[in-house]
Amino acid sequence: MILTLGIDIGSAQSKGMLLGEEGPLNSFECASGVDFKRTALRIQEELLSRSGKSLDEIKRTVATGYGSKSVVFADDMRPDIVCLAKGISSLLPTVRTLIDVGDLYTKILRTDGNGQVHNFLLSGKCAGGSGRILQVIAKVLQIKVEDIGELSLKSKKRVEFSTGCAVFAESEAISRLSQEVTKEDLLAGLHRALAAQFNSLAERVGIEMDVAMTGGGAKDIGLVQSFSEIRKHPILVPPNPQMTAALGAAIIARESLTG
Amino acid sequence: MAEEQKEAKPKKRMTATKAAASIGPMVKEFITGTLQARAEGKQKLAYTFIVCHHEEIFRAMDVVPIWTENFAGICGAKRDAERFLQRAESLGLSRSLCTYALCGIGFDQWREELGQMPPDAPWGGMVKPDFMISSGQILCDPRSKWYQASQQFMPDVPIYNIDLPYPLFQRDQDHREVLGYYHRYIVKQLRGLVAFLEEQTKKKMDYDRLRELVDLSDRTWNLIEETYDLRKAIPCPMGTGDAMNTMVPINFMMATQKAYDFFVELKKELEEKIARGEGEVENEKYRLMWGGGLPSWFALTDFNYFNSKGASFPVETTYRMVAPLKEMDLPETKDPIEHLAWRWLGYWTFWYDKARKRPGSEPDVERLINRIEEYKIDGVVMHEAFSCRTWHVGLIWQLHQLAKIYKPIPVYVVGKDGKKEKVYRELPSLILESDIIDITSYSEVDTRNKIDAFIETLESIRMNRAA
Repeated sequence: MILTLGIDIGSAQSKGMLLGEEGPLNSFECASGVDFKRTALRIQEELLSRSGKSLDEIKRTVATGYGSKSVVFADDMRPDIVCLAKGISSLLPTVRTLIDVGDLYTKILRTDGNGQVHNFLLSGKCAGGSGRILQVIAKVLQIKVEDIGELSLKSKKRVEFSTGCAVFAESEAISRLSQEVTKEDLLAGLHRALAAQFNSLAERVGIEMDVAMTGGGAKDIGLVQSFSEIRKHPILVPPNPQMTAALGAAIIARESLTG
Repeated sequence: MAEEQKEAKPKKRMTATKAAASIGPMVKEFITGTLQARAEGKQKLAYTFIVCHHEEIFRAMDVVPIWTENFAGICGAKRDAERFLQRAESLGLSRSLCTYALCGIGFDQWREELGQMPPDAPWGGMVKPDFMISSGQILCDPRSKWYQASQQFMPDVPIYNIDLPYPLFQRDQDHREVLGYYHRYIVKQLRGLVAFLEEQTKKKMDYDRLRELVDLSDRTWNLIEETYDLRKAIPCPMGTGDAMNTMVPINFMMATQKAYDFFVELKKELEEKIARGEGEVENEKYRLMWGGGLPSWFALTDFNYFNSKGASFPVETTYRMVAPLKEMDLPETKDPIEHLAWRWLGYWTFWYDKARKRPGSEPDVERLINRIEEYKIDGVVMHEAFSCRTWHVGLIWQLHQLAKIYKPIPVYVVGKDGKKEKVYRELPSLILESDIIDITSYSEVDTRNKIDAFIETLESIRMNRAA
């Protein structure tokens, strides 16, 4: 069997997707840590072991993401924008605008259903407007980041969060908590502030329907809902949204084999 | 006082033309020229700003201009601005202000405190002026405030401020209706400058000399237009990276024979390169426009990075501070001051008529569209320098408006019904984010990741462009 591998080394989480001839065989995700080379090798080993496959069956590997240069065994490196477009076109072919909420950046891109990018924009290099802020708040509230979404949906009176800056958000959250604001209302406010930033970025690139969200941030149902409320239309989320770029990388690897 | 350390020496940018490579020594020469002029004490020296159409007046009065923005840019390019920025910060000035101004103010304070140049001052440093000529020219408030701040450390140095407005674009109103009023006002401002310089230098203006210099500038303007037009050739013989060098004679040496001669040589060099089919890059795949924003002077090698991907920059809007005089229809006058004022207004209103003809357009957007068509551009790159709000605040809007009214790329897309359909798309664009000289705002990894993604987007469009 001809296998291809896509590896997405993000600043916080790294993801791998093993693609067989009929579609995805297995995926794996772990913290990126500080040694990206070792992380990439671990992903490769885990995927082979979970799928019961051998290394020589992987005919091509494409790396993407912030640490892609550390995937020394990769045959090619591609920008994550390109991999995201390829991945989302495979998962949700009607999507024309994608918002990928990662730890380091939020990326907005317009695509065509064939995996081609028409235009894109990245959030600035500070953590404001990226998924990092969710981790910062989880730490302040002493909750798990994966619980943020459900908690925020229980909000009864969303607070007006005045900043999208990750540093100021921390101090603002602490200050609000001292005013006896609930965690739920605080999180709903944070989601609203983040979603407003996404919207501003997306407006700059120009929005075409359908719109989807991917990346680790898309696992936060409260964030997706908040963005949907601002946009006043549904936001599609593929299964395992954080795997989209790794999937795209694996598809690109396959396409380069098949021409 | 903040720790004063120099940053790592920058890598040198590769130039495509010999002319661009000759600029570094030329800039060094006019910095050392100011030091020499100060030592000899025969000429007056003045701090001043570029794009004020007053160089002819300076040179006719034999006043040596000290281009303060240029010196800040040199500090940035040599990655030696941080210690001056930190010094300005320690004086209570915010880093979010114009970093050219901060660098200059920090340098002035340091020099005046020491009574000599700061240690290892770039290319010998910026000398204390005899007077300072500022001009806000509508768009840039630091140009009015910078010298006021510096004057705290040089209270004996007078400032003369010239106000150089121009009518703002209004779709439903012909700017010519108010042009006469603006002209009279600018003429008064320039005559005020002449009077100030006469008072400072104790000399009278030689108007015959001024007329000659204005004529020399006009000829240089036309020559620059002809020279830069050559960059329309495919492959493009000279890119924006080089133009960030050749902006020096345009902006700092106007009204000198040397500037004219420089463009004679550059034109010849470009013609020869075109005849040989020699481009800025070996295999030109993408033609990009630098659509706005001052460059990061410490990261000019990013242009080489673009080049390494097959991307050339045949045109830029930044620092091309000339326009074709023959298309301006300037009123005839024998008075060189009046001519300078007409030329000023002609330059700033150059795109107004064209913009009125295209629904939704504005002069800056119209200029982008014209350049895209004339230079066969595939994508637009802009740089948002955080500390320069005046020049950069409108860039995103320009791109947005451009995308809205100008969709030149035919592509086939798969419709919701699964059928292929032909649609027209806007040009892809890339916004780089950093600063003019503050290197702490720059991330090479981040910038190059963005460039990589942009190149992939261009390639994707190239492959999928509908016939």
